[in-house]
Amino acid sequence: MDRRDFIKTCGTVAVASMIDASFFSQALAQQKDGMFQAYKKALLVKQDGSPLKEEDIKPHVNYIFFYPYASTPCYLLNLGEEVPPLEIKLKDGKSYQWSGGVGSKKSIVAYSAICAHQWSYPTPQYSFINYYPPDTPSETTKKAGIIQCCAHLALYDPKAGGSVIDGPAEFPLASIVLQEEGGNFYAVGVLGKDQFQEFFDNYRTELRQQYGSTAKARELVDKCIVMEVDKYVQAVVRC
Amino acid sequence: MSKQWSGVNRRELIGGAVAFGLTAPLMVYARPQKRQKAQVVIVGGGYGGVTTAKYLKKENPNLDVVLIEERPFFMSCPMSNHFLTGLMELTPLCFSYNVLEVKHGIRVLNDKVLGVELDKKVVRTSSGYIAYDYLVLSPGIDYDVEDKPFYKESLVYNPPAFKPGSEHIYLKRLIEDFEGGDIVITVPPPPYRCPPAPYERAALIASMIKKNNLKAHIYFIDANERPIINSEGFLSAYYDLYKDIATYITSAQVRDIDIHKRVVKTSHGDFKYDLANIIPPMKASGLLEDAGLLRKGQKWVEVNPLTFESSVKNVFVIGDACQSYLPKSGYAAHSEGKMVAKIINARIKGKEVKEEYLQMICYAMVSDKEAIMTEIAFRYDTVSKRFVPTHREDNQRKESTAKRYEEWARGLWRDLFS
Repeated sequence: MDRRDFIKTCGTVAVASMIDASFFSQALAQQKDGMFQAYKKALLVKQDGSPLKEEDIKPHVNYIFFYPYASTPCYLLNLGEEVPPLEIKLKDGKSYQWSGGVGSKKSIVAYSAICAHQWSYPTPQYSFINYYPPDTPSETTKKAGIIQCCAHLALYDPKAGGSVIDGPAEFPLASIVLQEEGGNFYAVGVLGKDQFQEFFDNYRTELRQQYGSTAKARELVDKCIVMEVDKYVQAVVRC
Repeated sequence: MSKQWSGVNRRELIGGAVAFGLTAPLMVYARPQKRQKAQVVIVGGGYGGVTTAKYLKKENPNLDVVLIEERPFFMSCPMSNHFLTGLMELTPLCFSYNVLEVKHGIRVLNDKVLGVELDKKVVRTSSGYIAYDYLVLSPGIDYDVEDKPFYKESLVYNPPAFKPGSEHIYLKRLIEDFEGGDIVITVPPPPYRCPPAPYERAALIASMIKKNNLKAHIYFIDANERPIINSEGFLSAYYDLYKDIATYITSAQVRDIDIHKRVVKTSHGDFKYDLANIIPPMKASGLLEDAGLLRKGQKWVEVNPLTFESSVKNVFVIGDACQSYLPKSGYAAHSEGKMVAKIINARIKGKEVKEEYLQMICYAMVSDKEAIMTEIAFRYDTVSKRFVPTHREDNQRKESTAKRYEEWARGLWRDLFS
């Protein structure tokens, strides 16, 4: 661990420890390559503002919420079966321990919905990156149970920490670390190689239009409204 | 000094000139005496060159990378048919090279390359010589018109618009000024830049005629026996949407063009025109022939298919200029640029790169709202020692595919210029 990594680790652990003591050791364990970043702990809520419960997360429905920033979209999925932890190895030699699903069946996962290839993301107008349930395979790639971006056919595996299955992406989707406490769900941080800097660099104009200013788009959230992606996006583009 | 350097001050330039024993007015970019950085020179600021430069620096920020491009701004050829037919403004297609300098520390030289001296490992520009350890040549295409004077003459009157820039702007004006009559569009034999482009252009011009209710007819004269990609999708669109306003003539050779009488003479008869888009045969940029990388009669530079390295060690040729298993396209050049950046960075570190076969994905409009697409994967057949493509074409024209097309292009631009 070089000096920069060490400082980053200390900083991250300090933030993590302020957030949740029980999370401290887990975060520390995942720090090996500086691949975990803690953010504000945010409660997942329904559109009516009440806390999201496990029964609200229907299997294989593509839900969207925004975390850790007000404008950075994430997908929440109940994959209908236990999703075990996994070590994710990146092409650049780094690795991290993905902690698998949460909930009573350990089937609930969440990922950043910014494509790790060229940063396509769900907007109120279009979503080119989407989840394809097991019974609805992609017409183009014939694969199901995947997250696929239709712009350049980057394919990710939601059961395997967002790993790249096929296509041009160099990195997995960044994973959103979820915690369940007393039947409520919280997002607490981001694991893996996030694409936030590229997102903010590329979409300044769009974010200004949608949020009024880039500063508002970059506000950290402490509450995330979860909704079906079809309700947020006008045209869900599947392929 | 008219040529613009970035990251090189006057003293370095003059010092370089002395170091190389050159006299004014040539300016020289010198390698410092105690150089600790490897130096890569990239010729050509299109999809291939820009990608290589950016990914070299992304992986290795300390690397000394120079990108030489004659044009002051980047203009995308992908999506330029949208521009020609009024579906997109020119602005989204254009980018400044500044971001490469400011954000990524790439030295961009806005200059013309006059020659490459492979034995001395230098590139000659109108400002002087630039030495390199690794050279990436991504200069694109030239029109192959030297032995066909009629094509050469036609270039000025009927811009092919297969090299981004003023050709597109002039052709767009010709299209806008067209009020009716006969249109001739010709397609050369492959390989040429962007296989679906002529077919897309014909469809979009037909779509414009239909939309504007013009009294016009398109004679679409193809050297090939059918569209060389997405044949089913293009043919069904031509038949379903444009059969009354267009005639598709296949396996036809252009034999002469009378620019005064406005007639294209072909193996299938003569066609008068009021508007013509004559797309001539193509070959690799003449720069590569001058450098000695093309044998007599060769149109494209042979490279190692896995590394894109030419017959000269550490000299890579990517993009449309090389003879590769990938079709000639901006997307392919982009993928090749990433690959070559990986290889160069690995070599500098004394490492090997895992073999990788690249994939292709491309889209084409068949009307002002609908598009078709294809994805091509490749495998290497050890018996025939050839790359075998597997096409996954979606020939059902859809509006959603047209939206994907736009996102496909915007993603590439994000990757190049952010």
